[in-house]
Amino acid sequence: MMLQDGSTQLLCLTASSGVPLFTRGASKQLPFSVIGSLNGVHMFGGGQGVVLSGCETEGGGKVVWRVFQDSVMLIAVNGGGQGGVGCSREEEVRLQRLLENVWNCMVLVLGQDELANIRNVERLKRDLRSCFGLIDQMLEERQEGVLGSLTHCADLLLPPNPTLLQEAVDGFAEAADSEFGCLIIHGRIAAATEKWWRLAPQEVVLLSALIRSLSDSASASCDYPVFLPHGSPTVAHRLLRFQLLPGADVCVLCGPSPSLHTAETGLVGRFWAPLVETLRDCLAVGERCVPQAVNLRPDVLALLLINRETRRSVSSVLHPLADAPPPSKARCWELLKLFYIFSTTRYFTQEESVCVSTEESGPRGRANDFARGFSHQPLQCYLVTEECKSYALQTPQHQLFLLFPPSVPTFVLRTAATQTLSDVVAATGL
Amino acid sequence: MVVQPQVRFLQTRLGIAWETRRQLNKMAVANCDKRVYGSQTLVKGSNEERDDGNDRESTSSSFRSSDCSDDLEPEWLDDIQKNGELFYLELSEGEEEAALAHANASQGVSTNHVHFSEKEDEVITEQNRKQRCGSRTKGEPALKRLARILRRKRHPSLHKGRGKDGGKGSASQPASILKNQPGHRQGVMVQQQQLKEVCVYLNPKRLVGSSACVSDSGGLLEALLGVVHRSSWSRGQRDPTVTPQAERLTIHGLIPNSPAIKSGHILIGDVLVAVDDVDVTSENIERVLSCIPGPTQVRLTLETASADSCSSADSSPARPTKASPPVSQLVRLLWGEDTTELQMSIGHIPHVVMYLSLKLDSASPEEEEEILYQYPVSEASSQLKGVRGIFLTLCDMLENVTGGRIISSSLILDKHLVHVGYWKESTNLLVIGLPADRVPLLYLQTVVGDIVRTLKVMYGSLDSAFCKTDHAPKLDHFFCLFFQQLIQPSRLMDSSSAQVPDISGTLFLDGLPAVRWLALPPEIKMEVDTVLSDFESSDFGEMSEDFFGLRRLYVILGCCLFYKSYLIANHLPKEDLLDVCLYCQHYCLLPLASEQRVGQLVIWREVFPQQRTGSGSIAPGYSQPQGRHFLLIVGLRHFMQCVLLEAGGCASPASGATGPDCVYVDQVKATLLQLEALEAGIEERLSAPPAPCLSCADWFLPASTARDRLDSLASSSPVFSKLAGAVKGSSSRSRGRSLFKERSRRPSPQRSPSDSGSEGHMDAGSGFSPHSTPDPARKLGGRRDSFGSGGSDGSGGSGSLFKIPRMKHPNPFYLGTLKKTLTERETEDMYNTMKLTSGTENTLFHYVLMETVQGIFIAPTHREVAQLSGSIHPQLIRNFHHCCLSIRAAFQQSLPARARRAADRPQGGGWGLGPVKEHGVLFQCKPENWTDQRKPAPTMTYWVIGRMLLEPVPQEFYVCFHDSVAEVPVEMAFRLSFGLAV
Repeated sequence: MMLQDGSTQLLCLTASSGVPLFTRGASKQLPFSVIGSLNGVHMFGGGQGVVLSGCETEGGGKVVWRVFQDSVMLIAVNGGGQGGVGCSREEEVRLQRLLENVWNCMVLVLGQDELANIRNVERLKRDLRSCFGLIDQMLEERQEGVLGSLTHCADLLLPPNPTLLQEAVDGFAEAADSEFGCLIIHGRIAAATEKWWRLAPQEVVLLSALIRSLSDSASASCDYPVFLPHGSPTVAHRLLRFQLLPGADVCVLCGPSPSLHTAETGLVGRFWAPLVETLRDCLAVGERCVPQAVNLRPDVLALLLINRETRRSVSSVLHPLADAPPPSKARCWELLKLFYIFSTTRYFTQEESVCVSTEESGPRGRANDFARGFSHQPLQCYLVTEECKSYALQTPQHQLFLLFPPSVPTFVLRTAATQTLSDVVAATGL
Repeated sequence: MVVQPQVRFLQTRLGIAWETRRQLNKMAVANCDKRVYGSQTLVKGSNEERDDGNDRESTSSSFRSSDCSDDLEPEWLDDIQKNGELFYLELSEGEEEAALAHANASQGVSTNHVHFSEKEDEVITEQNRKQRCGSRTKGEPALKRLARILRRKRHPSLHKGRGKDGGKGSASQPASILKNQPGHRQGVMVQQQQLKEVCVYLNPKRLVGSSACVSDSGGLLEALLGVVHRSSWSRGQRDPTVTPQAERLTIHGLIPNSPAIKSGHILIGDVLVAVDDVDVTSENIERVLSCIPGPTQVRLTLETASADSCSSADSSPARPTKASPPVSQLVRLLWGEDTTELQMSIGHIPHVVMYLSLKLDSASPEEEEEILYQYPVSEASSQLKGVRGIFLTLCDMLENVTGGRIISSSLILDKHLVHVGYWKESTNLLVIGLPADRVPLLYLQTVVGDIVRTLKVMYGSLDSAFCKTDHAPKLDHFFCLFFQQLIQPSRLMDSSSAQVPDISGTLFLDGLPAVRWLALPPEIKMEVDTVLSDFESSDFGEMSEDFFGLRRLYVILGCCLFYKSYLIANHLPKEDLLDVCLYCQHYCLLPLASEQRVGQLVIWREVFPQQRTGSGSIAPGYSQPQGRHFLLIVGLRHFMQCVLLEAGGCASPASGATGPDCVYVDQVKATLLQLEALEAGIEERLSAPPAPCLSCADWFLPASTARDRLDSLASSSPVFSKLAGAVKGSSSRSRGRSLFKERSRRPSPQRSPSDSGSEGHMDAGSGFSPHSTPDPARKLGGRRDSFGSGGSDGSGGSGSLFKIPRMKHPNPFYLGTLKKTLTERETEDMYNTMKLTSGTENTLFHYVLMETVQGIFIAPTHREVAQLSGSIHPQLIRNFHHCCLSIRAAFQQSLPARARRAADRPQGGGWGLGPVKEHGVLFQCKPENWTDQRKPAPTMTYWVIGRMLLEPVPQEFYVCFHDSVAEVPVEMAFRLSFGLAV
């Protein structure tokens, strides 16, 4: 067995010539012969009019292929085994999402032109190195509690006093001669300008991820050129990022002006210095994401609330006690993710954000082929496992996913879920 | 006397004395209401016949004269293949047929032969024809019979050796018309009107005639078919034999270049009798033809006056074998008839099965040598064949990469998503490709596992199945059935018509490692078990080893008994039962027995029960006897008995190709005949009110307008007020039960608000409110037994005794008054009726309970479901099954490997969510085509919940109920399993 249990390896090749561009993930790289065969079978199928999209092995191993823009082939291989995170079907959806995200990362950094028309493979290889940080972040899903890459909905942090922050972001962006501004706290969006929300949901998610990876680099500010995969895949914008406090970043998307230096010296202090205490309050909310003011039932372990219209989500693992019985916090996040995939692949419709390009809509559209087989509409579902009880419900506007400890009686779940939904929506206006 | 010939035959064959056997036969005959047994044809008198003693007497005597010839062989003997296998299926005629024959008998025509056999050819006499014209409904079966004759003619190989009738035995009968008779019979035939069938290809989009034609009197008949018919009024003459309204469609002319003239078999002067088995007249022909939606092949039945042309057409070998008889496609398929047409119709849907070799043997220069077997050969499948390199490479490579064998892959082929399932055995690879919209990926593995197990049961191993070239035709047939069942089940089951086939249901129920069980009342169950045990003891006289000093041929390992697709008794170990059942499922034997009355079914083949032949871990100190195993399936009418026999071990070892043994077949038949005495009891059980009570989904939709309308109807129409009277306890019988049910059910006031709430109704509190306490008084559920539901299948006189209408009033408040009027028996029945759900209302829609240990499951019977009718309910059941696929897949993934049906495939790997115990989904349904713009459509929400129980016995329970009452599935499962004493 060449791949470790549960690890995922990402292979990137040129679609036409099969030259490997990079591989990421997994400590041990797959032998080249395997990479070649994996690419070869897909290429051979393409010649015969057959598009290979996925493959599954015993023990949850999984291979997913996808070609973007007829020029770049991405292959994700998952080792499965005991450490595998999901059953194969859930895993496949996760991998499909991964490929899409990775492609978007590449476009974000390099622009579509360079990727669609590869002139110099060696240069591209070199250029692609700049995406590795972002790609690795997607691959490892390092940060707990950020589900945007899976849900394609922006992760929100609900600040205790949103109006102040909103005003500050609006003012800051305006001063920086931009319509796109956003405040990121703990990797989640705490406030953003109106235009920021008009970006495609995937772009919002992607920019959040980029800012996370940039702020990990610990520089106080940076000026980074980005291509928006949907908005402007060929023309770069400038992303200016300023660290306000550790864990709190503000950024704007702008044109040639202002320079990083003028913005940093002239604007940041003016708008954000008065708000340091407010920002500290925000940081205190931490990974709970939901302010303490929102009363949640004590028996809710974790929640994920998605607004289907605005494509924003808030997720939270509420772990009151350190010595609480399992599942642990990390496991809760994992269960929440798995339950989200489980419910959306089988029952609920998962909103498809604008696809990368139309010809690739085939493999994406089939994630819900099972859900389409229902003659009546699924509204809610629950799952009782040994570790916890999960409940999901869907209304025209929202999707809510909840985890409960096993001790909660099953018949209470529905009431608890509906109550939680109305409480959170009422308190936050999400 | 009747048994005599066969006795003699067997005596010579086996060299043993037959006294005991005769006695046994006599007993069987006596048991079975003096039916003739043991002769070539089994005469099964319908109840009407039995009642009418005189008539029957004459029938049977005419038989004896014909049957007591020196024809000694059982009719299936010629169908035995070289390797000893036998698949013999003979249909009996339906009830209408019996009625028709009965009517004919009273007219003095001797077509009172219910059972079709080759000896007495079916005769469509002048009189018969007239009756056809008179009563269209009864005419249909006659056509069927005729078509069957045609069928048999086209397959002389199937029935050769029995057609040596000449004229013997049928001297008293009118001559047959369609048989290839010796020349001298032609003279007799000339007077007969003859039927012939012609298949033509029609394309409604390309009308033959000009558009003006359509407006003409010719209409579609001319435009589409190219047949000119001038109705009598336009011709000014009147055929005396026809009624003025519905005129026979005599062909007066043919339009050039039309489908009719191209066929070459439609002649001027012929009469068009039927289109695709729909009887047509001038009155309805336009309607019938306008129903043809798109380009299709239709079968025309024509009556022709000239015997010569017809018989020449019939006998000419060049005649295309297109005339498809109106027996169901399934039966045709099982008969091994031409399957190309069926296969053609799904040719565009990509599906394939391939058995590929992973061994590279460069020495042999043959092309495509790695393909050991492939089916079908169509365009879409050849594309899949073209990429077999992918399958081989992936299979070989991925095992090294991920450490597990490949299970499936998905590919897109001409915008069709195709899932490919793999099964690797030694150095060979089985690849099955299926369209994703038929088999969800979730369930592909189960489907592939089942097909592999079926093949292993039939052939021992995949290698032995695929690597022998002489198996190829059989495998073609096998996979044709497989794909047809999955891809176009509606074509196969066309006899059951209207309902949309429930592919998810088929997948789910067939995929369960269990057989559908019908719990019988204990006394009947005991009798059935006794009869089976008697049989299994092999205590027939000729088996006495002491007496003959011979070893017996086979040991009966056990048997199981099906009645109308329900398992009613099982004396087989679970794994053997599953093996047998897989075989039966694959060959659709179970639905066959429930829908059509099987005249006679005899199947014999060597099998390789997985538990016995495998190297399974058996208790130490015990080793399985090394023997060969044979499966004998005998079906008579609705009964079907499967017997597993062992040769070797303590019976004498079998060598070579071993064919069925008459003694055993006859013993099974005798057993079945003995069991037929219990049919009435079983039928009674089937027509009994469902226990637990079921509700119809439509009742829960607060379609207030419809109900109001019904109410007003009830007050105005006498029929309905009579129905209302029946509710109050009068025992008058009434018809129109579906209306009745809707009428008698009243919505509870508490439920309506939560139902009519728009979607996203959040107030779940109302759902969980106080009705959840189980009702101690066991108030009766909201439905009433409907009697005489059209399916009592000739249990006739005795049956009607049991059809006393039982009043099950939905409203518990009426119970007190009802009680007084009910007889003791009825009251008892009422209390036996179980309600599964808690609360005052019966909210149960559907359920499936599987006992893993015994390998059986229970679900509402087809009849119970059919009784509920409704428009939403069938949808709901489809949805239920679809959801169950998902629920069960979730269970499967958390189950340890041993419990899986595809037993020898270890299922390692993580199911990230952990073992699933219970899983439920809430669905919302709205009535279709809701037109009222002002009001939102009423909605109804219901749960589909699956629960896996490990204690006290492993069970899987799937239930569907209205969400007004919170249910605890565990409790429901307990109530169900204890209540029904599975």
